Amino acid sequence: MLTIKENLKEVMTGGKPDRFVKQYEFLQMIMSVPSGRVKPVMGEEVVNEWGVTIRWPEGQIAAFPVHDAEHILLKDVTEWKEYVKAPSLVRPEGAWDQAIADVKATDRDNKYIGVFYAPGLFEMTHYLMGMENALMSFYEEPEAMHELIDYLTQYEMDYAKEMVDHLHPDAILHHDDWGSQISTFLSPAMFEEFFLESYKKIYGFYKANGVELIVHHSDSFAATLVPNMIEMGVDIWQGVMNTNNIPEMIKQYGGKITFMGGIHSGIIDHPDWSQEQIAAEVKRTCEENGKLYFIPSSCQGLPGSSFPGVYEATDVEIDKMTKKLF
Amino acid sequence: MSKIEDVKALVEAGKSKKIAAAVQEALDAGDKAQDILDAMVASMSVVGDKFSAGEIFVPEMLIAAKSMSKGVEVLKPVMAGDTSNSLGTCIMGTVAGDLHDIGKNLVVMMLESAGFDMVDLGVDVAAEKFVQAVKDNDNVVLVACSGLLTTTMPALKEAVKTVKAAFPDMKVIVGGAPVTPEYAAEIGADGYAPDAGSAAVKAKELVA
Repeated sequence: MLTIKENLKEVMTGGKPDRFVKQYEFLQMIMSVPSGRVKPVMGEEVVNEWGVTIRWPEGQIAAFPVHDAEHILLKDVTEWKEYVKAPSLVRPEGAWDQAIADVKATDRDNKYIGVFYAPGLFEMTHYLMGMENALMSFYEEPEAMHELIDYLTQYEMDYAKEMVDHLHPDAILHHDDWGSQISTFLSPAMFEEFFLESYKKIYGFYKANGVELIVHHSDSFAATLVPNMIEMGVDIWQGVMNTNNIPEMIKQYGGKITFMGGIHSGIIDHPDWSQEQIAAEVKRTCEENGKLYFIPSSCQGLPGSSFPGVYEATDVEIDKMTKKLF
Repeated sequence: MSKIEDVKALVEAGKSKKIAAAVQEALDAGDKAQDILDAMVASMSVVGDKFSAGEIFVPEMLIAAKSMSKGVEVLKPVMAGDTSNSLGTCIMGTVAGDLHDIGKNLVVMMLESAGFDMVDLGVDVAAEKFVQAVKDNDNVVLVACSGLLTTTMPALKEAVKTVKAAFPDMKVIVGGAPVTPEYAAEIGADGYAPDAGSAAVKAKELVA
């Protein structure tokens, strides 16, 4: 039996895996990194490390940036230098100790040491100024948008250096949602103009510093951006929704990138979830997408689920499909 | 190209900085305000269709809507008091517990461009607030409810139920990522649209 890492490599290289990869099983996420992120708990509102107000409504599954007139940080992108100040990366003595200990405790034969980054460059533009402002600014103030993205890129590079220096990770799980369920937010040409070079720089830095796996999370449609993903160095696109034609993408791009997802969180991860629903969804995706260049997974951006038990129940069903199809 | 054609082209291309001057030039050249407005509505309809077809993306739609809005500003003083263009008032909001506003804002823009007077209640709107807004505003012909999260689908149902209980004949349209035509029908909505471009078409159908 292959180790978890060996099995993943077989999947990614079109070899002979002996089972399906079970969601995030290959990643040991080190979440004890002193990221400096300020996040609300449910029912709370906070001003985060960039000055963006984030609210998590009671009873909801996620937090959201608040962009009404009273709270918005950046109203006019041409004034970004006045309002956008990158948080300090200086940490007190010992701040990295827990993360270093967590790395040491990891079974590296089976797991890649994974570090986390969110929100990515595109998400940051709309966190700072609201979605409509951000999207219109790509047209109306392209120079200022390029400057702002360069500034955010530099912050990411500095943050990446800290993680590489302290933890020597094997993988990065990087979030940046680039679309809705049915479309990308930007046209592929506009996406390329504003984001390709920055991501080549960031992911290139990780690769040049020992990071083997670039896992990019975008739980959306993004099939039209796959050539860009490959060029920027993404190894695994996580969060691939089945609104993308996954079998077609596997046929077209398999060997250059692996697709992780295919299980619709909306179908399986809700308060009334059932093992039967999950079984049907996992069966469908495994049968449709096959054994190579594909990792069956929910579209959640981290191991886990919104409702307790769903993630584990999904693993059980993936095991059943392994028995059936391998 | 006639002045009115210029206006149309500028709306479609989203040239918000040039539109006011173009509308003024069209007026100065003798074009009627109503014809200019109709031309801009037609442009936005083209934009909506292209968006629904995946030929253009959200930024293109936003800048087109912004251009139309700036063009309308020039026409407003000329058309003051003329309400014959209005399709009626539409109350819109994202339902309780949901803070997503992008889709909702796009629909507001498209419906406004189509000729509705929009009352945007914002996000996290309780069911009773929709009812109150119908009472507080004149000539309300449509209520539009948006919800993006699977967890707020019950709130969508509640909103439709509450509006229909208070105003049984009021037309209600719903939309949002997890919503399907089947779900819309199940919760008693009169209409459903998968995106902002289609929402404008559906809304006009419902109040015709």
